[in-house]
Amino acid sequence: MFNIAIESGPFSKNLEDFDSIRSVLLYSDLEPEWLDNVQKNGELFYLELSEDEEDVALARAHASDGMSTNHVRFSDKEAEVITEADRKQCTDLWAKGEPKLKKLARLLRRKCQSQRRGGKTGLKEGSSLPASILKNQAGQRQGVTVQQQQVKEVCVYVNPKRLTPLPNGGGGLLASLLGLVHRPFHSRGPGNPVAGGQGETLTVHGLVPNSPAVRGGQILIGDVLVAVDDVDVTTESIERVLSCIPGPTQVRLTLMTSAPAEGLTGLVGGADPQPRPKASPPVSQLVRLLWGEDTAELQMSIGHMPHVAMYLSLKLDSETQQEEQEILYQYPVSDASSQLKGVRGVFLTLCDMLENVTGGHIVSSSLLLGRHLVHVGYWKEGSKLLVLGLPAERVPLLYLQTVLGGVVRTLQVMYGSLDSAFCLVDHTSRLDHFFCLFFQQLIQPSRLTDPSPGRLSTDTSDSLFLEGLPAVRWLSLPPEIKMEVDTVLSDFESSDFGELSEDFFGMRRLYMILGSCLFYKGYLIANHLPREDLLDLCLYCQHYCLLPLASEQRVGQLLVWREVFPLHRSQQRASCGVAYCGPPRTRHFLLIVGLRHLMQCVLMEASEAASPALGSPGPDCIYVDQVKATLLQLEELEGGMEERLNAPAAPCLSCADWFLPAASARHRLDHGVATSSSSPVLSKLAGAMKGSSSVGARGRGLFGDKTRRPSPKRGLSDSGSDGPQQDHGEGSGAVAGVSPHSTPDSARRPGAHRDSLGSLGSDGSGSLFKVPRMKNPNPFYMGTLRKLLTERESEDMFSSIKLTSGVENTLFHYVLMETVQGIFIAPTHCEVAQLSGSIHPQLIRNFHHCCLSIRAAFQQSLPPRGPRGAAERTRGPWGLGPVKEHGVLFQCKPQNWTDQKKPAPTMTYWVIGRMLLEPIPQEFYVCFHDSVPEVPVELAFRLSFGLAL
Amino acid sequence: MLQDGSTQILCLTANSGVPLFTRGASKQLPFSVIGSLNGVHMFGDGQGVVLSSSQTDCGGRVVWRVFHDSVMLIAVNGGHRSGGAVKGHVKGEELFLERLLENVWNCMVLVLGRDELTNTRNVERLKKDLRSCFGLIDQLLEDGRQGIMGNLTHCADCLLPPNPALVQEAVNGFTQSVDSEFGCLVVHGCIAAATEKWWRLAPQEVVLLSALTRMLSASGSASCDYPVFLPQGSPTVAHRLLRFQLLPGADVCVLCGPAPSLHKAQSDLVRQFWSPLAETLRDCLAVGERCLPGTVALRVPDVLALLVVNREARRSVSCVRASADDSPAPPSTPRCWELLRLFYIFAATRYFGQEEAPVSGAAPSEEKAHSRSSSSGDFVAGFSHQPLQCYLVTEECKCYGLQTQQHQLFLLTPLSVPTFALRNVATQTLSAVTADTGF
Repeated sequence: MFNIAIESGPFSKNLEDFDSIRSVLLYSDLEPEWLDNVQKNGELFYLELSEDEEDVALARAHASDGMSTNHVRFSDKEAEVITEADRKQCTDLWAKGEPKLKKLARLLRRKCQSQRRGGKTGLKEGSSLPASILKNQAGQRQGVTVQQQQVKEVCVYVNPKRLTPLPNGGGGLLASLLGLVHRPFHSRGPGNPVAGGQGETLTVHGLVPNSPAVRGGQILIGDVLVAVDDVDVTTESIERVLSCIPGPTQVRLTLMTSAPAEGLTGLVGGADPQPRPKASPPVSQLVRLLWGEDTAELQMSIGHMPHVAMYLSLKLDSETQQEEQEILYQYPVSDASSQLKGVRGVFLTLCDMLENVTGGHIVSSSLLLGRHLVHVGYWKEGSKLLVLGLPAERVPLLYLQTVLGGVVRTLQVMYGSLDSAFCLVDHTSRLDHFFCLFFQQLIQPSRLTDPSPGRLSTDTSDSLFLEGLPAVRWLSLPPEIKMEVDTVLSDFESSDFGELSEDFFGMRRLYMILGSCLFYKGYLIANHLPREDLLDLCLYCQHYCLLPLASEQRVGQLLVWREVFPLHRSQQRASCGVAYCGPPRTRHFLLIVGLRHLMQCVLMEASEAASPALGSPGPDCIYVDQVKATLLQLEELEGGMEERLNAPAAPCLSCADWFLPAASARHRLDHGVATSSSSPVLSKLAGAMKGSSSVGARGRGLFGDKTRRPSPKRGLSDSGSDGPQQDHGEGSGAVAGVSPHSTPDSARRPGAHRDSLGSLGSDGSGSLFKVPRMKNPNPFYMGTLRKLLTERESEDMFSSIKLTSGVENTLFHYVLMETVQGIFIAPTHCEVAQLSGSIHPQLIRNFHHCCLSIRAAFQQSLPPRGPRGAAERTRGPWGLGPVKEHGVLFQCKPQNWTDQKKPAPTMTYWVIGRMLLEPIPQEFYVCFHDSVPEVPVELAFRLSFGLAL
Repeated sequence: MLQDGSTQILCLTANSGVPLFTRGASKQLPFSVIGSLNGVHMFGDGQGVVLSSSQTDCGGRVVWRVFHDSVMLIAVNGGHRSGGAVKGHVKGEELFLERLLENVWNCMVLVLGRDELTNTRNVERLKKDLRSCFGLIDQLLEDGRQGIMGNLTHCADCLLPPNPALVQEAVNGFTQSVDSEFGCLVVHGCIAAATEKWWRLAPQEVVLLSALTRMLSASGSASCDYPVFLPQGSPTVAHRLLRFQLLPGADVCVLCGPAPSLHKAQSDLVRQFWSPLAETLRDCLAVGERCLPGTVALRVPDVLALLVVNREARRSVSCVRASADDSPAPPSTPRCWELLRLFYIFAATRYFGQEEAPVSGAAPSEEKAHSRSSSSGDFVAGFSHQPLQCYLVTEECKCYGLQTQQHQLFLLTPLSVPTFALRNVATQTLSAVTADTGF
């Protein structure tokens, strides 16, 4: 679809468009909607979900076309349906070459709208949320249930911290919090039917514009408010009841409606012009957490797991005998931490004593709290001690140091040092938020994201291992796209155009752009930052879950601005011996802008070269708009990126389930598809087909018979049905294929592999280089660092070599980390999702768990210049000496094996890690089936490392 | 304060914190430190938080454990302060220290009986009594003796004699003659043969009795009569351990009741049963530290050291090949033992898990709680599939670990063995050791 000839066309056009986009953006006088969310210290965290209604409708249209049968499978997961379809829509639009300006126009319109809304209500926006963000979403979730004929319940989200100030100041909480206007009896004319008693009934006489009540559209003028959260209210009690709402929460209002009940739906429809066939998918917990809402409930659900973060002072002021004066900071303040908080004396004593006794700093302790084993990590900075207690079942001791190092480094990047993070009072609420996110991610990652295939993994081991790597997940793009992306980024970074150039205003620019990096759906696709800076930024993004967030469709706009303290830059400064007098002159700022799937992180410097920054500057509109324009421009390339993401796995992957013969047969039977053989080869091919057409998920035995081995055991009964089934299978594959390339490509097989080389469109230039490389005596040596594509090719090669030597493709999973650049490659989520299977996810989990151990062995044997850079401590001594390679053989059995007569079939596979320091530092982790003869394993390593033995 | 890499054992009464003894390191820790180390544990205990271990960045480690609510044992291992080349050591490993504490406690019970330790009336007297354990504790602490892995593995170290049937018969006969069912022959500190009942003792007891025999035989006496409590089998009633030296390096022991007297047994029975077997015993002694009879064919150049554990019988055989000539600079023999121990700890804690024989005596809940508290056990539990084999390639050697239903093999090979061949070498070695000898 995208070959070079066509590609070059849009690109040149892009540049022209680019300027026009910029000028439109820059010269429009629109005030950005995030402006009022900027905090006093200049920081901004603004997240807006995209307005979905349109998308939902489109998705429905697509679905009803029947053009994507594969969505049927996910029909119970609304979010996924939307995402899938929407992505397609994007691709379609792109392919049709829809004028980019249309999108821009939409964006601008949205801006206008929100602006207008703000203007109409005449409210100051700082106090009410911009119309397009959370509240809007929350409103859509309001559900209406008819209990009796005239009683309805309406759920609304209220936030007592963001009261709507009313023009006349009256109305109390009822008006400012809920948005209901009730005129007291005495101020009205007589004749209204009111109940007596101590208080009057609460009839709704009016609705405050843009308030929670009005947004849902279910509360009507004339309704009578009966109860709030089942507490009966009257005019007397309402203010008291509402004042008891401590923080942002959802309250349930019970209303008596004067309208007949059967008119309710009509009324709702009337109130809300948008037809709403179904409530839009709920905002995920993660997003709500990022918005700073609802932490209480999440916090409560991990209350049974002891965990704590404390910042303690080692030097006690003996004169002031204050209780708990040594605790400078503590999170959470709940039962979960009370026991650990109670024994803080132990931590302080041990920290002090062990240094004297053994001469080293204490790094960890293991404690038993009832049934829970808790590992405590220590981090001493000056005379302060950071203590982090985590349940052992979530974080093994082996990895505690890495986790702790990550937290410390993130805090250092965000605040400069632990002291400045913890010791300022006004940081407390931000730190609470920080640690809330931290513990949630570690202890119950699954709660945060909605379960849906293809999303970023949420298993603890997975995230522990992958996020613990001093590297960012990399997606290698086809060279043309990569080049364009790089060009666009470079253009931006050079900042010599428009208002960014110094000539424009005849003054020094505010910030110098040090570099930027670009993520697509959470994958790094371009990086123009040094490794340490990249890791700093990435840690921040990881901590705030920005990467998985971007992989969901619904990020409308993300804007983060804050001052950061990149670690190695401050260290350089320190080592240069620059005397500190007051604040350092060089300050760094981080700007993250996300639009839909794209996210760009920009590191900027305010120093001598640019004008020195004073105070706490907020985000500068010009820079923000420039980044936005860059992203809009890059959105044109999204199609190519998406296709790369959906492309078949570059090194062929197999699914573990295919190697458990009887199990897979049984699995198929379970689903009522009576088919055939158990040969892994055959299933593998089928699975690869299935990759592009998930409708085939149940029938992976359908495709196989071309390369089928004689399988006398099973083949007899169903040989008759093979033919038609095969036809059916291929047909559905072709119909459902997302991209026309993926179907033939994914069906790689020994014979067809060579043929399919030519059509590896999505692998970019892969096919071009392949043939000459094959003739090279040492084709896999990689002299330069920027050869990741080639690396993938060599792996590809490796699999093809293996295939030609008659061995089945047995690679299950891999992770390759390149330490110099700080990036790693692993199969994309799509690739993994394509393999599905019941054992495979287990295998991947196991793989990651094992990698924790392997990597710990590597790290312990490394000199302390270690992975997380300076934040990583010297490792403990390692008696076995430096480890170069480490492998573990696992055996797995299908779960719930019920057949008593036969022993459960087993499958064995290796997880092997190897660390290389030469020619470039790399770590490589693979997982493959045991059937590979040992020599090819060696070969595989040599090939994938480009190592000449 | 603590010398580099040295290990110290602190023993205190659990409820009052009175120090009972300290062993290890030539220079004792000051009393204040001992008090604080005990204090933090006590304080935590009061708050419902049981401290089990702590670790420093240079390999120092402290492990706490309370036995039967009466005795607190603390193991402190000093790290390596001298920066630069930090070399790890077996003694810094958590598993080693945990097992050490357990062994020390068992050894205290073995010598004094449990009642004496748990119902302390007179602390001063207990202190005095405990001195009799020092010899054994010091031996456990040193752990310097090559060829002995039992303290760490809790599997009895065995020596496979060239003609097992003959030896076995003699041991059985001799044991019966002294009215006992528990008897064994110890050659070079390893068990060459033992009666069935001896093997039914708890593995920790067998290990400890072997250690005791080694200590007694090192004293040079030809025979002795030593009262022992069995930490699990009979912690409150003492038995007599009779030990007779048959040849230098070969001892026979029996556990028996009041009869017969040491003198009678030595003068009549020993001679009667063992004098005909002098040649056989010499053959056993000739096996030496290899622990394996000559009939077992190892792929000599490929095997540096090996440890085979019989998981059901809780026995182990280990040997280090006398340093050969060919390969470039293989690790020295002591280093090989060290590496073998380290690799055992590595593989056992991360992959193979540590199955402990069910321990009677100690409160089961306490035991269970403690096995959970071992940080290493937790990691094993995290695997969704079962690890069977593992290997490591380091700068000194290659290590291969293998676990079957019945056996565990830990193997060190020189770097010259290609990695892909490791698995073959390992499986062949295991079958060579087990097939011939029925181990």
